[in-house]
Amino acid sequence: MGWIAGGLCADVPPGTVVPICVDGVDLAVWCSQKGTFSAWGDRCPHRGMRLSHGFVRGETLSCIYHGWQYDEAGSCAYIPAHPALTPPKTICAKSYLCSAKDGVIWVSLTETTKEPPDIGNRKPVRSLPFDCSPGDLGRLLKTNLHPVIVVGGSSDLALAVQPVSDRTCMVHALAAEGHDPKAVSRQLEDMRRAFEEQAA
Amino acid sequence: MTGNAENHWYPVAMLSGLTEARETLLLGRQITVGPGEDVAWAKSADGSPMPVVERFGHLWTCPGEPRKDLFSIPEADAPGRRLVDVGSVKVRCSPLRAVENFLDIAHFPFVHTDILGAEPHTEVERYEVEIQDDTDEVWAKKVKFHQPQAAKSATTGIMTEYMYRVPEPTCSVLYKTCPPRPGEWDIITLFVQPLTEEWCEVWPWMALYDDESTMSEMVSFQQMIFLQDRSILENQIPRKLPLDPGMEVPTQADMTSVAYRRWLKKIGFGYGAQLVAA
Repeated sequence: MGWIAGGLCADVPPGTVVPICVDGVDLAVWCSQKGTFSAWGDRCPHRGMRLSHGFVRGETLSCIYHGWQYDEAGSCAYIPAHPALTPPKTICAKSYLCSAKDGVIWVSLTETTKEPPDIGNRKPVRSLPFDCSPGDLGRLLKTNLHPVIVVGGSSDLALAVQPVSDRTCMVHALAAEGHDPKAVSRQLEDMRRAFEEQAA
Repeated sequence: MTGNAENHWYPVAMLSGLTEARETLLLGRQITVGPGEDVAWAKSADGSPMPVVERFGHLWTCPGEPRKDLFSIPEADAPGRRLVDVGSVKVRCSPLRAVENFLDIAHFPFVHTDILGAEPHTEVERYEVEIQDDTDEVWAKKVKFHQPQAAKSATTGIMTEYMYRVPEPTCSVLYKTCPPRPGEWDIITLFVQPLTEEWCEVWPWMALYDDESTMSEMVSFQQMIFLQDRSILENQIPRKLPLDPGMEVPTQADMTSVAYRRWLKKIGFGYGAQLVAA
């Protein structure tokens, strides 16, 4: 599937972690104190606890259950129950490609050498969940779900669609500079209402 | 595979709260429990009576043929102990995950922060674990941990010593340093009713030496602890307890959990367990 917008950078400030779901895969997306974004499988290898419930300290993410710390590469760097132990290299969170570009957090579940897509001269506005399947959304937008779909209009609106489950999508809206955020929001909500009615 | 789960004892009601007949689930099957003139009762869905035992403030039953009598806790009968019915908490997790969490001390500083543990006192020293062949129970001894507030009655941080015992797959008994009575152990139990493989009702019960706290203070303290555990238990993936060694990574601090999982395999108890990696 390649790059998919998993969220907007503004919604994941430094020092925070959030859960997202891409095509049925649960991910913990977090931003380090220095501003580096990472996307990992949302599961601590120790006891299966969701890492998205954890906490960021500096450049590490800690699991909330036993405080195991993982560095930016996803390797376990510290086990509080055994402070003197250097954890084996084999203990690591499953990490996925993640890249922040133009205010959008891009993730890829598969290996790719491509760069994340270009969103043109646009800025992220907001994300909105749509209660329809990725297939329905593609059909209603009359396109395949490319990373960015330009729907035009007065605000030069582009949509980055994140398939979540077979019943829901997250839509990240990007609009040309100088747009009125309220107008873009209204346009997006109108679109959602219309799509959800047609998909129902 | 769920093994021979029907031949074990399970808690199904708190006796003091059993004032009228009610339906509940045990191993995914509907049963009815109710008060009696002398002894409370339990019936399966087809109306046939099930074996019952009243012990530790709870009603116990077994859906099949009990492999042995319900375990006892002789220390709990000692005079001066206060017996505390904590109530129940329903948790969306495997009953085995609930027991494993109870056996774990390394989570105290992070889940029960400033109560049962606090950074930087996170180290878990080596302790002793064995599966006792004669009683067929898991025991962990000489478990020590630094605790800011070990009990409702505690006023300062202390090094607390623990012993854990697993007499039934979904039950554990904890013997813990008793601050007001050095040399004695407080007893805190976790009795888990498996509603289904991924949903359980937890009935904690305690036998404490504590002359200071009111009953409701002791109940509230323990309920607060279990609600903190619930937020973890409902967010573990997978919901069932993996018995496949490749699925989760233990360390030395997890020796009790390792023995518990090994014992479940040995006695063929697979209800609420995931046997192969998904």
